[in-house]
Amino acid sequence: MKLATAIIESAMVSIVSVAWFATAHAQDVVKIGEIEAQTGPLNTYGWMSSQGMRMAVDEINKAGGFQVGGKTYKLDLINPDTQGNPQQALIQLKKMLEEDKVKYVFGPFLTNIFKGIEGYAKQHNGQFLLMGGATQIHYELGKPGNDYLMRTWNWDAGPSGFGTLMVEDLRKKGVKKVAMLMQNDAFGHVAADIYREAFKNAGIAFEENWFEPGTKDYSAVLAKIGAGKPDYLFPGYTDAVLYDIVQQATQLGLTKFWLVRGSLGPALKNKDYIDDYIAYIPKYFEEAEKSEPKVAKFVAAYKAFYKKDFPYDQAPLCSSSCYDHVYMLVDAMKRAGTVDDVAKVKAALEGFTYDGLWKIRYDNTGEEIFNFDIVDVQKGGKISVTHEQPR
Amino acid sequence: MLQLVVGQLLNGVIVGTLYAIIALGVTLTFGITGIVNFALGVFMMLGAYVTWYLTDGIGIAYPLAVPLAVACIALIGLAVDQSLFRFTRNNLINGLIVSIGLISVIVAIVLMIWTTTPQNMHYVLPGVLRLGGVVVPKMKAVVFVVLLLVILFTYGALTRTWAGRAAYAYAQNAEAAALMGIRTGVLQAGVAAYSAALAGLGGALYASLYSITPEIGSSYILKGVEAAILAGIGSVMGSFAGGIIIGVAEGVGSIFLPSAYNDAYGLVFLVLILLLRPAGLFAPR
Repeated sequence: MKLATAIIESAMVSIVSVAWFATAHAQDVVKIGEIEAQTGPLNTYGWMSSQGMRMAVDEINKAGGFQVGGKTYKLDLINPDTQGNPQQALIQLKKMLEEDKVKYVFGPFLTNIFKGIEGYAKQHNGQFLLMGGATQIHYELGKPGNDYLMRTWNWDAGPSGFGTLMVEDLRKKGVKKVAMLMQNDAFGHVAADIYREAFKNAGIAFEENWFEPGTKDYSAVLAKIGAGKPDYLFPGYTDAVLYDIVQQATQLGLTKFWLVRGSLGPALKNKDYIDDYIAYIPKYFEEAEKSEPKVAKFVAAYKAFYKKDFPYDQAPLCSSSCYDHVYMLVDAMKRAGTVDDVAKVKAALEGFTYDGLWKIRYDNTGEEIFNFDIVDVQKGGKISVTHEQPR
Repeated sequence: MLQLVVGQLLNGVIVGTLYAIIALGVTLTFGITGIVNFALGVFMMLGAYVTWYLTDGIGIAYPLAVPLAVACIALIGLAVDQSLFRFTRNNLINGLIVSIGLISVIVAIVLMIWTTTPQNMHYVLPGVLRLGGVVVPKMKAVVFVVLLLVILFTYGALTRTWAGRAAYAYAQNAEAAALMGIRTGVLQAGVAAYSAALAGLGGALYASLYSITPEIGSSYILKGVEAAILAGIGSVMGSFAGGIIIGVAEGVGSIFLPSAYNDAYGLVFLVLILLLRPAGLFAPR
């Protein structure tokens, strides 16, 4: 009998000890989530975000974590791959919020993913922060019940929008007509709404053309666009379509491109066939690496961490929900003096400028503003860069 | 406008030959094995990936990579036929289920190896041909010529060789063909491998024109089946014409109608033709 009692008592002590140990350790960890497409035709944005985020978490944890309210915390990153599928993203977000009790979720960059999770996320307003680059988030910022939202990318339109600025540059070049060739999906229509207005205000004729997702041969629609003799082609928004469009367009004599999403890769692959390729690039890393020590350090750290070449074409997308944003969140938690009160952390995020790879701040609606580059690739691969610092 | 229409007629013919090569595989497989092999789409996708890997990954010259990729896909087609489709002969539903399962497996394997990130092969033959005011990319012209030659070769082999006539005989009356000494098992396996090789060739040539993703096969098998039905299953040259009709309908349709829905224009053509000739355009009445 005594033996049985002793065994039961020992078991009870062990269970309590394990529970205490586990709880104590759980309190020392801040879980952060990420909802991004790391693979798939639309992974251009999410892949780089996840790469940068892993690096930042690793660096912070290896440095011993961070202190808030006299307590040291480490980060635990949960970043499954949505593959660009809204249903997957919704399941992953549910798991993060309900099982893992994550309070800070980065992403998504894709509007279709955001639309897929928006209804569910809104039910948890006030309980977590969702910090994504999706264009559609812009329209939801500041609305009642949307305190959970922050947008981690420059807005296209408005007086200091990068799109407005780029359209103005086209007007100054004497451009009279631009033809858009956009994917017939959620972001495509958002982009059309934004730029229809911007080009109208600049007095530039704007022609809209659409293609179905999954299209590979654009010859017919490009030939039709070519017959209208536009000065510039404004094509697609991901490298998944841009490589095919740029190649086929140059074959049909359309050699000038203007784009607000996508990398320089399609221009460089077709450098002998294009005349002009103007792109919004949050940072032209090839140049910045030589002039900005923080960028050089990041490039070196990336190579050491992943043991592979630095993805110069994808790196500019690290301006959204990526490396800097993890550091900025940690900084905000320190300033707010809490890791749990999301309202206080959000207020802290909106109250300072973070000086990392980019100079990042949020406006009073929760939308990010950061410095960016406009890169102009000309025939033969000659590149010129204009640095912009929005007000 | 005339220049635009002529240009799209030409482009439609070229793109249509890619549909036609799949349609030819569909029609041959159906004629000899009695199943519609939807997995030909993934064989095409595999052909594209293997070619891309051989050229950009290993560094083999494209003209050598294409036959290697085709041989590789033919072997895969033969292995799959002997291990799976052999048990579904002349059973349309079972064949369909096996082919759908096979698509899931092959796409999952490709996803594991190469992910869904689009892959872009280096330019094999850059530049364009100018025919009057009409522009045709050189590589597209080469793809058209190669596919046309393969289709003509297939037609010639089927009509002028003993093996071809045996295949026709088997398609018309399997029992009589077997009684006449045709080794039906070998014939069926050979046709399955040849159809896979045709799809692999389509993929190998496709990779020189467009970026490749694991989903490309699904769209091409649908167009291939569409072309085969439009022509009337069983007609070799009909498959060629069916592919071209769909390619031209999409190309020319995109000029006069919204380009966002160009996949639908070939289907409209199919419905119209089936209303007038339910057995297909080139099938006997």
